[in-house]
Amino acid sequence: MRPLDENETTVVFEKIFKFVGNNLKNIVENPSHEGPEQDPGRYCFRLHKNRVYYVSESLVKRATNISRKSLVSLGTCIGKYTHAGGFHLTIMSLSVLAANAKHKVWLKPTSEMSFLYGNHVLKGGLGRITDSIVPGDGVVVFSMSDVPLGFGVAAKSTQDCRKLDPNGIVVLHQADIGEYLRDEDEL
Amino acid sequence: MGKSRRKEKKVIPPPQLPPDVGEEEIEFSDEDVEFVKENKEYARFVSRIDTTAINRQCVGEAKTKTVEDKYEEERSKKKVAEEEKESNEIQVDPVDVLPVKTLDGKLHYRTVTKRSKLAEAEPDEAEEDVLDDENVLNKSQRRAKAKKSKKEAKKQGKEVPKEIIEEEETPQAAVLAEVKEELSAEETFENKKNRLAELGMQLLSDPEAHIRSLKEMLDISKEENAKIVKLCLLSVLAVFKDIIPGYRIRLPTEKELEMKVSKEVKKTRFYESTLLKAYKSYLQKLVAFERQPVYSQVANRCICTLLDAKPHFNYRDNLLSAVVGNISSPDEVIRRLCCSTVRSLFLNEGKHGGELTVQAVRLIADQVKSHNCQLHPNSIEVFMSIRFDEDIGKRDREEANKKKFKKNDKRNNQEEQNQVQENERKKSKREMMSKIRDEVNADYKGVTYEPDAMERRKMQTVTLSAVFETYFRILRKTMYSIGESSTEEDDTTLNPGAFGPHPLLAPCLDGLAKFTQQLDLDYLGDLMNYLKKLASSSSLSTNLKKKKTKLLTVSERLRCCLVAFKVMRSNLNALNVDLQDFFVQLYNLILEYRPGRDSGEVLAESLKIMLCDDRHQDMQKAAAFVKRLATFALCFGCAESMSALVTLKNLLQRNVKCRNLLENDVGGGSVSGSIAKYQPYATDPNLSGAFASVLWELNLLTKHYHPAISTLAGTIANMNTSQNQTFLSAVTPQQAFADYSLANETFEPKSESRKLNTKRKRDSGGEEGKDVPELDMGELKKKLKENFTILRGIKEDERVRMELQFEKKKPTKKQSNLAKKKPTKSPKSKKKI
Repeated sequence: MRPLDENETTVVFEKIFKFVGNNLKNIVENPSHEGPEQDPGRYCFRLHKNRVYYVSESLVKRATNISRKSLVSLGTCIGKYTHAGGFHLTIMSLSVLAANAKHKVWLKPTSEMSFLYGNHVLKGGLGRITDSIVPGDGVVVFSMSDVPLGFGVAAKSTQDCRKLDPNGIVVLHQADIGEYLRDEDEL
Repeated sequence: MGKSRRKEKKVIPPPQLPPDVGEEEIEFSDEDVEFVKENKEYARFVSRIDTTAINRQCVGEAKTKTVEDKYEEERSKKKVAEEEKESNEIQVDPVDVLPVKTLDGKLHYRTVTKRSKLAEAEPDEAEEDVLDDENVLNKSQRRAKAKKSKKEAKKQGKEVPKEIIEEEETPQAAVLAEVKEELSAEETFENKKNRLAELGMQLLSDPEAHIRSLKEMLDISKEENAKIVKLCLLSVLAVFKDIIPGYRIRLPTEKELEMKVSKEVKKTRFYESTLLKAYKSYLQKLVAFERQPVYSQVANRCICTLLDAKPHFNYRDNLLSAVVGNISSPDEVIRRLCCSTVRSLFLNEGKHGGELTVQAVRLIADQVKSHNCQLHPNSIEVFMSIRFDEDIGKRDREEANKKKFKKNDKRNNQEEQNQVQENERKKSKREMMSKIRDEVNADYKGVTYEPDAMERRKMQTVTLSAVFETYFRILRKTMYSIGESSTEEDDTTLNPGAFGPHPLLAPCLDGLAKFTQQLDLDYLGDLMNYLKKLASSSSLSTNLKKKKTKLLTVSERLRCCLVAFKVMRSNLNALNVDLQDFFVQLYNLILEYRPGRDSGEVLAESLKIMLCDDRHQDMQKAAAFVKRLATFALCFGCAESMSALVTLKNLLQRNVKCRNLLENDVGGGSVSGSIAKYQPYATDPNLSGAFASVLWELNLLTKHYHPAISTLAGTIANMNTSQNQTFLSAVTPQQAFADYSLANETFEPKSESRKLNTKRKRDSGGEEGKDVPELDMGELKKKLKENFTILRGIKEDERVRMELQFEKKKPTKKQSNLAKKKPTKSPKSKKKI
């Protein structure tokens, strides 16, 4: 386990920035009340076996006592690095992203299941959408009762969405909570 | 013949002498002297004149006088008159201007009055005015016919003896003279009024016969008396209103004039041409009078009434430009007149076939442009009265679609023709039918006054584009003035002017909200961007040198948010968009609101439209608003608190999860997400962590002095435990604001008497002179104690009962919760569940 170096940090932050925008500083400077210390520590990012974890400082201190081979996971896993060196956000980062998301999309109850199976979001399944979405932005997908379902990349801007026919793709699927069942082994 | 002989015996006054030339000035040339010497005989008649006979003829039976005496008299009179006139007149050499002979036989030498200096020095003298006026008349009537000059000479002839009479009186009797003048002025006033009335009645009864008297009526407007002029203008207005026909007069061309026509046609032509000329001169006068401040109101009223009554007649363009020019005048009466005229023009399009609407809108747009958006708000408010057909934009799109389909159809038709051969007779029959239909349509169009559907649509598109151009210009100007542009602008362009920094912004936003349905979807994105920037204006100014007048006030920013929501709502058919940024703005504006400075009604309206009417709310956001509204209700007076509480109740009833705020569950439980602590000053409602807080404010509000607020706070606090969950409040925040505003304050606070009593108890020493009767404090205390214990007991009992029932009903309650959730979701979901 080691902290991220410059390049890795920039890559991770870029990915998160697409979803979170200026709230990135909230994620980085979030005071954590875990642990017995009086002063709230911070959250930080650690790299362990090609995965990036979002952990509170007090937890990190204690985790250094565990050897590298025995340590499976700590804190919240945000994503992992591919062999080629790229970084992907996994579904486990949803809690961090959903709280600070800039662009949100709400699904109608009929199309929730479709998204949870891994399909893209169609316009006919859209309940609500935030304004001023640019194609390529990260979008967090919610149900109508504000339960975060997953996230993806916007395919069209909000303006274009109006003129789309009901079978057009609005959000390209990247991760959803159905993966906890489907891809249990990989997480 | 006998009569003429009798007449001969009458006195013939001696003819007027030519102007006097001094003896020294007379020069005799040598040729003249020689001539006289040669022809002495011919000059003998001079010695033979019978002076007595001449005396008898000229002077009458009075023998004492001679002709010379008479001449002396007249000369003295003349001198007096001339002395009088000297101050005013310069006698014009008869070589330049020929004398005029009046009908009485008097010769009148034209004179030019000395101007300005003396006229200014003696403004009260009526004679001066008369002469000045005559001079003006002289100039204006140089082109006039001989009749008019004779009339004028008559007047002058009449006034010369008048002046002589007045001059002979002593200055001590000058007061008498003035009184006489006034009397005579009043008489003339009455005479002229009567004359006006006579002419008017004549014209109304038979316009064609008396059309010439129109000119006479117009002449009366050249008087000096302001009242007469006003009366004249108004009476001519009334006459025109009735006379003007329902069609445009087109003067006959030269060819038509040359043609031989019947008497009837000649008569109507003459009538029409005189009417038109008179109308033209009347309009010119009105425009000239409008600039003089004395007559401006009357002139404006005439112009407005004419335009309103007969918008189809000639010269309406001039009328319209005059009206629109005054649409922003500082004089309130004129402005109101003009605005109401323009509004009635917009509403009664049938009278003028829609063309005036286009023109008026274009003119107003140009005015806004030229004045750089510094006009009175009324000038843009008139746009609200414009009515558009709903399907302007749609039809264009349909036509475009049809064109596309037509191409496809042609291909299909060709294919069909190859397959099926049509009968020749059927084809020709169809052609005949269509031809007849076209002819009928053409005839119908020729007869009706209404514009063609296509034309109408074109005109409306032009109007619409002009209206939106104005609105966008105003928006852009506001943007520049709050410093959004990249280049530095001079401060001179940002001076507020007479109407305040952004006078046109409010009516512009209202108009946008009304007309958004006509706006193309492409522009909506731009519009939303502008509105976003305007709404967030105060936070972006980084340059410290900028003055505060540039920033938009809280009410203006609230209006921007409001308009954005209305725009979104009217375009709901496409997509349900969540306006994140405007919610953030509203969240911050609630904090910035100040009751005296900002308009509470705008706040109430924005609360209603943004929070109460919205179908679905984000949980975090709703909770954040709930918490902030509760804090807001604590700070301000009755009206604002009431509106905030009503909104709060609404939000809590619709978002069940927000009721966690009513429970004493600090830390939020599972719903709060990652934010563990409430941030009261957070700018973003989503990140405020409101679920981690509790609504303590409601407890304080139950102790509010106003009974309504305390009861409402109590109801909200008991919402979780009360039995009827489905009751939705029918009162809107706006209504609540209006009802409870300070102006409608009717109740009296009840706690005053209690306070007084406690004070008196402390200062039991020497307080006298109070009207409240002495009470036995002890008894009062006892009674109050009993009362309160009873009440408390009742409350306790009820609470315990409720709790028991609550525990019983727990399993059933959840179902009722679910059942309540249904109406908040979309109708589609009902089917699934």
